[in-house]
Amino acid sequence: MVSRDEVMAALAAVPGPDGRTPLPESGAVSGVTVREGKVFVAIAIDPKRAKVMEPMRASAEAAIRAISGVAGAVVTLTAESARAVANGGPAHGHQTDGPPRRHGRSSEPVPGVKHVIAVASGKGGVGKSTVACNLAVGLAKLGLKIGVLDADLYGPSMPKLFGISAKPGLAPDGQKLVPLKAFGVKVMSIGFLIEEGAPVIWRGPMVMSALNQLLREVEWGELDVLVVDMPPGTGDTQLTMAQNVPLAGAVIVSTPQDLALIDARRGIAMFGQVKVPLLGVVENMSYFVCPHCGERTDVFAHGGARKEAEKLGVPFLGEVPLDIAIRAHSDDGRPVVASMPESPQANALIEIARRVADTLAVGAPGARPAPRIRVL
Amino acid sequence: MAWPTEITAMDKGRILEVAFDDGRTIRLTAERLRVESPSAEVQGHSPSQKKIVAGKENVAIVGIEPVGNYAIKIVFDDGHDTGLYTWDYLRKLAN
Repeated sequence: MVSRDEVMAALAAVPGPDGRTPLPESGAVSGVTVREGKVFVAIAIDPKRAKVMEPMRASAEAAIRAISGVAGAVVTLTAESARAVANGGPAHGHQTDGPPRRHGRSSEPVPGVKHVIAVASGKGGVGKSTVACNLAVGLAKLGLKIGVLDADLYGPSMPKLFGISAKPGLAPDGQKLVPLKAFGVKVMSIGFLIEEGAPVIWRGPMVMSALNQLLREVEWGELDVLVVDMPPGTGDTQLTMAQNVPLAGAVIVSTPQDLALIDARRGIAMFGQVKVPLLGVVENMSYFVCPHCGERTDVFAHGGARKEAEKLGVPFLGEVPLDIAIRAHSDDGRPVVASMPESPQANALIEIARRVADTLAVGAPGARPAPRIRVL
Repeated sequence: MAWPTEITAMDKGRILEVAFDDGRTIRLTAERLRVESPSAEVQGHSPSQKKIVAGKENVAIVGIEPVGNYAIKIVFDDGHDTGLYTWDYLRKLAN
């Protein structure tokens, strides 16, 4: 069991806020708590000097970690005026590591990226990734600089859809990953970093951290639009994306059948709650034209997504048929928009890309500018 | 829905002023925001778990970070920073 005295002895090696007086003598240590081998310490400082004090905080943490028997150390900087600090450490076992932290958790825009948009669906298997891939290639064909972030960490589809099997290289700065390029689009996916078929078995916090890395530790360069292919559902990934970047809008993909539309409604409601404007709804697998006899069959019914969009007052972006060429080219890693650009199937997708680009140019319906935030 | 245009921590972090695009400006004290933090640390996971936070009359705001399009995270000088204040919640506190 680590004692308070041991902690203070370790802190004696760390100069306090004035840069000279050892911490224990500086009077700045305002709380020491040891719980199950974990040490929580609060150091009172002038809040204006929080940034400058960060190295002191880090050295204090390192000094405590070096004590044998310490399982973890959290040193927090607190304002001088605060009296009750570190009484029992953070509640709920949340990690806190002092106010001056900016671990990419903030929702600052991604540098160089004009618009981040999400392609989402409530339900899986509606062709969201296929639409996202072709939407991205379509946007690139319109002359925009486009990136695709594969946010479906558990089931990444972008390596297959873009036909990329290489590993991303490291940027000259040795920190960021360089996205891979195909069909004029920069692509980053967790699938580039793991073996095909290897499962990703992660809890929420791992997902959050990986998403942040894919977003901010990738050299996206200058992009007009970063298309984020979301996993199905309304979970950790969706919330992380909605919190960590100001999304310019979301595209909802659904099949026309009621079962899918129920989930699409959930997706739309989720984006409404986090104030992400909707760019519109795409009806995928809208109809099937028999390649032998030319007769059209509405396999999943037809027009349901359009009706739903009208009901909710959301723009309808277009219909994409259930089609063998789209499926086959997707499986081959040659998106139909690039490999059969003149086909009606590709045209439907390019038209959707054009509507998305037009909407982004003027701002999605309901999009508002971010408030100006100041701490005086 | 009213949308904030300016969010300002003033009076040494004791007051948060929020101007909305419908012309309304609200002012909330840091103490009020701290004790009514929407964080699970304060609200628990049901109304019966809500904690009464005392002794925060001198608490001050030291940082404000945007959260997506819909909220701000307020960092207080007592280290509390897990509350996400949505636009709706800020309005509700002012009423």
